Amino acid sequence: MRKENTLVLILAGGVGSRLNNLVQTRAKPAVPFGGIYRIIDFSLSNVMNSGFTQVGVLTQYKPLSLMKHIGTGEAWDFTGRSRGVKILPPRTGAKDSDWYKGTADAVRQNIDFIKAHPSKEILLLSGDHIYRMDFDDMISFHRRKLADVTIGMMVVPESEIHQFGAGITNDEGRIVEWEEKPKVPRTNLASMGIYVFDTEYLLHMLTENREEIDFGMHLIPRAIEQDNVFAYPFHGYWRDVGTVQAYWESNMDIIREDSGIAPEDWGIRPNVEAGVADIADRPPARFAAGSKVKNSMIAAGCVIEGEVINSVLSPGVRVGAGARVCDSILFHDCLVDKGAVLDLAILDKGVRVGVGAIIGHGEDKTTPNKDFPKHLYTGITLVGKGAEVPANAVIGRNCIIAPLTRVEDFPDPQLKTGESVGVIDL
Amino acid sequence: MKCKPKTLAMILAGGRVDELNVLTCYRPKSAVPFGGFARIIDFSLSNLMQAGLERVAILSQYRSYSLINHIGIGAAWDMIGKYRGVSILPPSTGYGNTSWYKGSADAVFQNMDFIQYHDPQEVLILSGDHVYHMDYQEVIDYHRQKDADLTIACLQVPMEKAHRFGLADIDNEDGELGGRVLQYKEKPDRPKFNWASLTVFCFKPKVLLEVLTINAREDESFEFGRNIIPRMMYEQRKVYGFKFKGYWGYSRTIEEYWQTNMDLLGPSPKIDMEKWGLRTNLDHRGIRDCQPLKVGSDAVIQDSLVYNGCIVEGTVERSILFPGAHVKKGAVVRDSVLFFDNVVGRDARLEKVISDVNVTIGNEVRIGALGPAGNKEVTVLGWNNFIPDKTVIGSDCTIYPSLSADKLLREIKAGEIVR
Repeated sequence: MRKENTLVLILAGGVGSRLNNLVQTRAKPAVPFGGIYRIIDFSLSNVMNSGFTQVGVLTQYKPLSLMKHIGTGEAWDFTGRSRGVKILPPRTGAKDSDWYKGTADAVRQNIDFIKAHPSKEILLLSGDHIYRMDFDDMISFHRRKLADVTIGMMVVPESEIHQFGAGITNDEGRIVEWEEKPKVPRTNLASMGIYVFDTEYLLHMLTENREEIDFGMHLIPRAIEQDNVFAYPFHGYWRDVGTVQAYWESNMDIIREDSGIAPEDWGIRPNVEAGVADIADRPPARFAAGSKVKNSMIAAGCVIEGEVINSVLSPGVRVGAGARVCDSILFHDCLVDKGAVLDLAILDKGVRVGVGAIIGHGEDKTTPNKDFPKHLYTGITLVGKGAEVPANAVIGRNCIIAPLTRVEDFPDPQLKTGESVGVIDL
Repeated sequence: MKCKPKTLAMILAGGRVDELNVLTCYRPKSAVPFGGFARIIDFSLSNLMQAGLERVAILSQYRSYSLINHIGIGAAWDMIGKYRGVSILPPSTGYGNTSWYKGSADAVFQNMDFIQYHDPQEVLILSGDHVYHMDYQEVIDYHRQKDADLTIACLQVPMEKAHRFGLADIDNEDGELGGRVLQYKEKPDRPKFNWASLTVFCFKPKVLLEVLTINAREDESFEFGRNIIPRMMYEQRKVYGFKFKGYWGYSRTIEEYWQTNMDLLGPSPKIDMEKWGLRTNLDHRGIRDCQPLKVGSDAVIQDSLVYNGCIVEGTVERSILFPGAHVKKGAVVRDSVLFFDNVVGRDARLEKVISDVNVTIGNEVRIGALGPAGNKEVTVLGWNNFIPDKTVIGSDCTIYPSLSADKLLREIKAGEIVR
């Protein structure tokens, strides 16, 4: 009975601009992950596996890819008489309508949706994290504590706490102090952006002060001050893959033994029929005689003639004879032609790397990208969706090649570390 | 304007016909796994989808659970919609002469009401047991062009192998495309012509009804090849042969089935599933939930096909792995086909093995003999078996499904059958 009384809202509207090239054509939750998944599959599957059946997905930024991916929600068993997943984009016409100005504002603009799906609690999630969690247990905790709000929290290294909402709890787990993205660490307990609200309480908070637009900045601190807010402790694998480096590391975690992430064992479901070229049309991966593959994830439909080491390949990737792919992530249908070399690269869908080209050249991994020094500074080179890399080109590290770049767009087949080709519009 | 489909397709998927050894103990041949993720019937279904023939009936009788499960609602082949659909037609009791299907022709005859209800311009009858890629629309176009009563798709086979097939003598009325069938012989001892029937029949519905009615009344056997085509030749009906030139995987024995699997491999495989547009039902056995193949740091994979959901830590050569296969460290799998959810233990060695679903092979097990695959016979492991550590099984052995492990606690010599 309880499960039917919880309404799930997934926040999937953020730009996630630190993912740079990867979010040029899609929202962050729709970024491919782990070969066949998209980031939001983790949240959606956790919801499904926790037994919840009513979901709203709040979208705003470049939602088409995400909408197509979610479809009817059938992939996560959200179709049926008492089941459903609804896309909730911003809309005009209602009293409070406008673009979503923040997380709390987005939820406020969907109060009609909340009221149309009567619930005892609202489970509010972010659609851009990699983790497994039993939300049913969290709801039990919330009820046991007679909380107004419960926040999923985990211990992180003190050096990272500045990226999170930080909470200080008392002996019974109640949060007594809150700092949003503190510059000086006083605790190592970080908010995972997972909230359980009593529905009535949430509606009250949202309407009481209409100026508050963000949960972490406004609504949560006020709730902690006034009412019962508890921390639900989480132990296990959880990553906010909001930066290129974190995104790359989390993908690499899947192929590392004992890293604690295992999508299939976690019951994470992809949507295999979201597009014409998705998994449903792929035969098994083919490994030619003479190929060499180590410590990698290879999806159906790949054809490997060359070498693949420590890499994650989405469906339909072709690695030609004599080519070498190392420490890289390749999205659907990339072609790495004969003799090409990839080292520390992330290739978006349909990238074509010409014969003998090198991506990730040189020892210097620390000279950051000139245009986006805060996005690329660890040596990873990004190649945008559908871009072409000319034969025998030599591309350095921390480089960015914009989506749909053509061979003739390269001023010089040598691209130095930190340089970019094409316009990145974020 | 495309409205109601003019062609009704019927797939004969009911038979076991004692082929493929223990692989068909619990499923019809059409539901036997093939190609690392699919089933044999997927080739016919995908061909139909590509030809735009999406009003389909499947005639099934033998152990049909696996097949029914596999077809589902037909969505995998786009067969749901106003004029699209797949109907499974099992034998049924009721008014009139209903009974178990006594043969392929009888199966169709018992469903004449289904055909009449759909009122098609032609009925395309196919076998679900073969691996091939054919544009059925070409056959139908030829059939219409000749205004034939029956058009049979045929493939020229070597004369020395021809005695195993239904054979047509096709004239050169339309050269390379096809011609009139002058003679037809079902599996003759001494073949004089060699166009083998592929069990792809395009019928005029009215003629089909007439011939099946007479067959039901007068004959004692009810097969298309043995009875219907000879009767139509005798009655001098307009029977045409469509000359097919592509690949055709025909596997009656386990050795032929193994060879058809090997045709998926090599530098330019004879069976190109991607090009052929092969689709399967990913809901069956839940393979849609599989994560990509995980390749370990000591793994070697050569000339092989491996689907999502596998883990390879050992060596895999010239083999095909279905979802859920786990080849552990030090294990070697050569010239083999492992169906769903097989586990190959550490340092085990498999040489020319076909292993049905849910087989766990213990550590250091040896199955099959060393040496080139051409010089030895296949060993077949039936489903749901557990092969204890260090067991030795020779080549050309058959292990029946679901054996208790104590039956395998000894050396099993080449050629043995363990029940």
